[in-house]
Amino acid sequence: MRYLFLFIFAFQSNAQISDFGTVNFNEADKIALEYKNEKLNNLPELAYKLTANLDTDVERFRAIFMWVCGNIANDYRLFHKNMRKRQRYRDDSLKLKKWNDHFSKIVFKKLLKKNKTLCTGYAYLIKKLSVLANIDCEIVHGFARSSTTNVDRLDTPNHSWNAVKLNSKWYLCDPTWASGIPNLATSKFEFHYNNGFFLSNPKLFAVNHYPADKKWMLLLDEDKPSFKAFIEAPIIYGKAYTNLSVHKEPKKMHNIIQKNESIVFEFQLIKPVEAKDISLLIDNGKSSKKVHPELTSIKNKSLTVEYKFERMGFYDVHFLIGKDLISTYTFRVKG
Amino acid sequence: MKNQSTFTPKKSLRALGYVAFLMMTILAFNPVYGQSKTTLQNERTIKGVISNDDGPLESASIVLKGTKIGTSSNSKGEFIFPKPLKTGDVLLISYLGYETVEMKIKADTGFIRLRLSEDLLEFVGALNSDKPYKSKRSNK
Repeated sequence: MRYLFLFIFAFQSNAQISDFGTVNFNEADKIALEYKNEKLNNLPELAYKLTANLDTDVERFRAIFMWVCGNIANDYRLFHKNMRKRQRYRDDSLKLKKWNDHFSKIVFKKLLKKNKTLCTGYAYLIKKLSVLANIDCEIVHGFARSSTTNVDRLDTPNHSWNAVKLNSKWYLCDPTWASGIPNLATSKFEFHYNNGFFLSNPKLFAVNHYPADKKWMLLLDEDKPSFKAFIEAPIIYGKAYTNLSVHKEPKKMHNIIQKNESIVFEFQLIKPVEAKDISLLIDNGKSSKKVHPELTSIKNKSLTVEYKFERMGFYDVHFLIGKDLISTYTFRVKG
Repeated sequence: MKNQSTFTPKKSLRALGYVAFLMMTILAFNPVYGQSKTTLQNERTIKGVISNDDGPLESASIVLKGTKIGTSSNSKGEFIFPKPLKTGDVLLISYLGYETVEMKIKADTGFIRLRLSEDLLEFVGALNSDKPYKSKRSNK
């Protein structure tokens, strides 16, 4: 019995999109496009339209996910307003609750009238539509890190995403981050679908998502990072999700090393790459230079890259595959 | 008295036989009649009123489960379902931000009075960004 449990759990821990390698999502994606511009005033009808003509749960969930990611915009003003208020009332639970109740009304109004929301709204819609299509789905609250969140000051959950049960296995996805990102020049939200956040690899997901309830990591106990390890982990970007299945080394964002000491980057890739595509963008605060690392080994989609700093200093190091920004680390190089 | 004496058990049995034959003929040649009558008895127009804690809820949606047949409530929270419903049908009653209610039509359901309760959520949101991380450096 114990072995059976272990087996089920080990099996569970690898839940990701590659499980559905043979499923073609064209039909589901087409249906999601067909119902573009639908409003949210009748969720049962919307769920019916999106899912009634699809045969499998994973396709039905795909249509729901694609519809939400393609039709709901992230409202950054709403986000900033909420962050300011939550920060102000963080030590006053009564005022915080009052704000939450008030804010929740504003959010639903905005969602209904303008199809705009923030993370929890995305996760809420995914859950509601999935449950209406008889798919088991949960909202997961937790902590998320990106290059612009103040990672050192996270003390209450700041993000929501989903866990969904397909063919008796739970999977993770992040509809907010899949839908789009801020334009770098204007800081305004832009729809830009990232498929890496649809049924993501739980090991990669755990690098920048930490659920309040650890069971939603969907990892074996020995693979579950501690909160400290999560806070200390490198920054990974949206493109990490379309290039990597696992980020192994370096485990920390901030590193102290000796001059001429080899630093090792180790990733598991989704698709094969060539050595010439790998580069590091190294910034010493005054200028930045792009280098191709000295040693790169690619075997069975397992990528190992080594690099040595020859001069002392403090460097921001960005890892790139082609033009895709994957991750960032800092290195203090001592003499 | 005489008439009564002529009405023997044998004759009455024969009469009963005729009646039974007649009834069977009617049923045999019109088999749908009995069935459709029971369906018609079951199917009826369902009306109702939807509210929340503040009063009547306008634009709540009422949909027959597994279809897109439905309607929405008016400014008084009232609705008349557009299709006659039968016992066992399930209505999904919803409004964005409220818990969706599945309501099974029972034998005695004719009017639905329902108060929807809010979905309790604490809204948060973290932004993702492609903006490369930049260390804060002190000016030396």
